[in-house]
Amino acid sequence: MKLLIIDDAPEMLRAFRDILEAYGCEVYVAENGEEGLARYAEVMPDVVLMDILMPKLDGISATKKILEMDPSAKIIVISAVGKSGLDNECLLAGAKKFIIKPFKIKELLSSINSLVAE
Amino acid sequence: MKGIESVRGYQEEIIEAIPSTIIVVNRSLEVLYANRNYYAKSVAKRERDVLGERLSRVIPPMLIEKTGIIDKIREVFLTGVPFDGDQIRYPGGMFYFYKIYPLKEDEESISKVVIFMENITELTRLEEELRESYVKLENAFAELKENDAIKSEFISTASHELRTPITVINSYIEMFEGGMLGELSSVQREKIEIISSQIEHMIRLVEDMLDVSRLESKALKINKYPIWVDDIARKAIDDLSRLAGLKEQSMSLTIEGSHSDVEGDGRRIKQVFNNLLTNAIKYTPEKGKIEVIITDEPEDVCVSIIDNGIGVAKKDQHRIFEKFYTGSGSSLTRESGRMGLGLAIAKGIIEAHEGRIWVASEIGMGSTFIFTLPKKL
Repeated sequence: MKLLIIDDAPEMLRAFRDILEAYGCEVYVAENGEEGLARYAEVMPDVVLMDILMPKLDGISATKKILEMDPSAKIIVISAVGKSGLDNECLLAGAKKFIIKPFKIKELLSSINSLVAE
Repeated sequence: MKGIESVRGYQEEIIEAIPSTIIVVNRSLEVLYANRNYYAKSVAKRERDVLGERLSRVIPPMLIEKTGIIDKIREVFLTGVPFDGDQIRYPGGMFYFYKIYPLKEDEESISKVVIFMENITELTRLEEELRESYVKLENAFAELKENDAIKSEFISTASHELRTPITVINSYIEMFEGGMLGELSSVQREKIEIISSQIEHMIRLVEDMLDVSRLESKALKINKYPIWVDDIARKAIDDLSRLAGLKEQSMSLTIEGSHSDVEGDGRRIKQVFNNLLTNAIKYTPEKGKIEVIITDEPEDVCVSIIDNGIGVAKKDQHRIFEKFYTGSGSSLTRESGRMGLGLAIAKGIIEAHEGRIWVASEIGMGSTFIFTLPKKL
């Protein structure tokens, strides 16, 4: 399974890569929304894990742009911001799921698996 | 008319006793009468120097100039409309207030006007002082609000910024625990468990910080649906029985009546139970007793959490529900692992449900925390 992780925190990218690769996923990373768009077009991943607060292009705008490019894109927004209404904003932008940090890897994996199975 | 009848014959004394200056002038602006207060205030003026004299010679030129009172008197004679008053400032910081009233002989002609004049210096000074205090108070309040906003912003930012590192640490702990980084020895496994439980604790602190900033910005979301308070209590007690077990404390639940008609946010109410029970466990000595009693009141469901622990001093009972309040003792004797948020959050949640929360306690005699949830009527 191909996963694209878009997050501006390198430690987060590293941790995602380590753990998801250990579960047998093929992991691609991007450090901001803009780079994420380019990577998406390049690798066409099965699922995208998207941060919200990022330089250049934020996660909500990036979600919209990816969906313009590929309406069948499966995007999970993962945010540290628990601001009320943000979950809805992400879902309205077309994200399939909204997960708040910190989360259990097992929960994340089950979210990814259920999206891929759709 | 009756009232005035009863003092007929005393008018003179009444007028003389009025603590304002009263002067009556005729159309030629000659003084016909000045009351006792006028003579008391005017140095070396006696009645014979004043009566029949022109007004401009009787009151200080400064006053005449400042007020334009002569023109105003003429105006009142001309129109018959009273001059309703004005304030004048005298050199030396004195303030006066004056009014001019026409005295009508009959419907047509006005032959006299009466001038009332009052020294309002003290009043004006007080008013000024009041205004200054008000401005100071407003500034202080604005500053306080700004500080509070900065503090709230900081709490919110800190709780967000801590989330990414916690997630990273948590992910690796999960990898270790899942054996994905090689088999762990029993010692390694034990230490990983300690790290894991400490991270759990840290997550709770971060969640509490976020809840408090949500409460402050009124962004705490309450999803109301029918809930079973009894079940929530049972679950909360279950979750904490291990912690109470460590101190060999007994926990019991007594349910009186049925409590099916409450609507609320089950997850949040559970959090209230959790915060209150955790406190009870923390502040009750080993082998202590913690009881939860749920009763049915006409309009509410009432939950009491009773412990036989150290209790809360009277002077602290109100303040313990404030955020960041960790008791009135010195900060060095403060127990670790708490930020003084649990009760503030519990209060916020209960109030968002339109319920009430309070404590009854005496030092050394244990505490009873009580909260109510309104029934759906």
